Amino acid sequence: MNKNEILEKLTPIFRKELEMNDLVLTDELSANDIDNWTSLTHMLIMTKIEETFNITFKLKELKKLQNVGDMVTILEEKTK
Amino acid sequence: MSFTSFEFLLFFPAVVLLYNIIPQKWRLFYLLAASYAFYAFLQPVYLILLGAVTATTYGFSRWMENAEDDDRKHRIMVWGIVVILLPLFFFKYFNFVNETITSLFQSIGIGITMPTIRWMLPLGISYYTFMAIGYLVDVYNEDVEVEHNVCAVGLFLSFFPIVLSGPIERAGNMFPQIKALEKSKVSDLTNGAKLMLWGYFMKLCVADRLGIYIDAVYSNVAQHNGNSLALAALLFPIQEYGDLGGYSLLAIGAARCLGFKIVPNFNRPFFSTSMSNFWRRWHMSLIKWLTDYIYTPISYALRSKKMLGVVVALLVTFLVSGIWHGAALTVICWGLMQGVLLSIESVFQNKRNNFEDKFKLKKNGLYVFVCCVIVYLIFAFTEIYGMSSSFDEANLIVKKIFSERGPLFVDFISFLLGFASLFILFVKDIKDEYSLGSGLFYSKHVAVRIISVILTIVYVLLFGVLNGGQFIYFQF
Repeated sequence: MNKNEILEKLTPIFRKELEMNDLVLTDELSANDIDNWTSLTHMLIMTKIEETFNITFKLKELKKLQNVGDMVTILEEKTK
Repeated sequence: MSFTSFEFLLFFPAVVLLYNIIPQKWRLFYLLAASYAFYAFLQPVYLILLGAVTATTYGFSRWMENAEDDDRKHRIMVWGIVVILLPLFFFKYFNFVNETITSLFQSIGIGITMPTIRWMLPLGISYYTFMAIGYLVDVYNEDVEVEHNVCAVGLFLSFFPIVLSGPIERAGNMFPQIKALEKSKVSDLTNGAKLMLWGYFMKLCVADRLGIYIDAVYSNVAQHNGNSLALAALLFPIQEYGDLGGYSLLAIGAARCLGFKIVPNFNRPFFSTSMSNFWRRWHMSLIKWLTDYIYTPISYALRSKKMLGVVVALLVTFLVSGIWHGAALTVICWGLMQGVLLSIESVFQNKRNNFEDKFKLKKNGLYVFVCCVIVYLIFAFTEIYGMSSSFDEANLIVKKIFSERGPLFVDFISFLLGFASLFILFVKDIKDEYSLGSGLFYSKHVAVRIISVILTIVYVLLFGVLNGGQFIYFQF
């Protein structure tokens, strides 16, 4: 799956869980930029991503994610 | 020796001086020896335990390194954690567990006697045990490389500025600094000394001064009315902030004089507008540890349960926090209270954010102030349970606060000096919180820097409680 396809699937997940209908995902976007992006919503987003892409994250992988760009990179690898 | 003892005022400058004179290759052994000497001054016999935990940590990390597959590494990590926890359990929780079992059996009419131990709690055991566990987990997670030098692991776990009461450091921050061990820069010495001076101010002028009033009221709950108990309960969080916050600055400042940058432990907690915000500003090194090694793995394992998983993770995390703070049901209850409060906040977090955005409340000074006051009052209330020796005592305090009026018990000197120091502390914290200038200690004018430091030293000597009060957090 390429980056655009991944972002197309990620955007509605982030918009729904963060309750922000006009959210635009960028590589640099991180939890520091959005108040609603708490540890709780983070875990909800990750669970939804696992369901949508039919993959499983290891805790080690989740801990290394710093922003949306990192997420896209790891999803590119997992959906090859 | 304690940071507020006379011996430390001789020991510390001598250690810093010699550290900067000797060749770099000797500094690791020198700091390790100084740290062990510092510890030996307080509890020589428990050096054996510190050494044993070091050897265990080192041994298991090397064993993990040589393991072939991930499952085996995981098993080694788990066994390492169990072995490292054994002394903590034995010294801190053995009696508590046995007494709880005994009273449970007695309540159903079975009289049994469980063994008890009467040994002193090894100082710093809760802190260096957590640091050792953190290191093993970091090695397993490949967040840090395995350290091959046993003396480096020894210094990591015994470094004298932080061994007694934290901050709880992490291998990822400490080992690169232990490897470098460069001479102290002039800025390290001056900034470290300023941090220490402010730490002494917070401890001796704020915590210990207010502590005189709080101890007088809390040591005789039955005799004091609700108004005095309410004031003591309101002042107690500030005493704790001055005590552990002051201790942390002393530790961070002392380490800075040796060129070390230690993680911060407090970030003006009383400017928090929510409990979750508060717990990101209060005893930060402990909360970061609990978040990384308890909350995150549990919430990850339970992620399919969504909100329920987060709530369970929060409750377990703060249950562990309560158990860490003390082997007593009141303290464990205090921990659970924090977990429940944070769970409630988590559930309503998005609704609150949307409400605040809708009415533009985040920058509204009155709203922020009211939120800070509410958070403070909630924390002060839970602390009644955190500091009480029994539920009966805590319940009595709460009952009196809400029902028994009367003249306020006044300790004029403690009030005058305590509140004057508190005022100074809050002016500085307001300045830092809202970035209102660099502050007197760090002014661009040399004269301002020198005069403010001298005045603070004089203030501490004149108005500090100098008769050797103990740090509250040593008992953990």
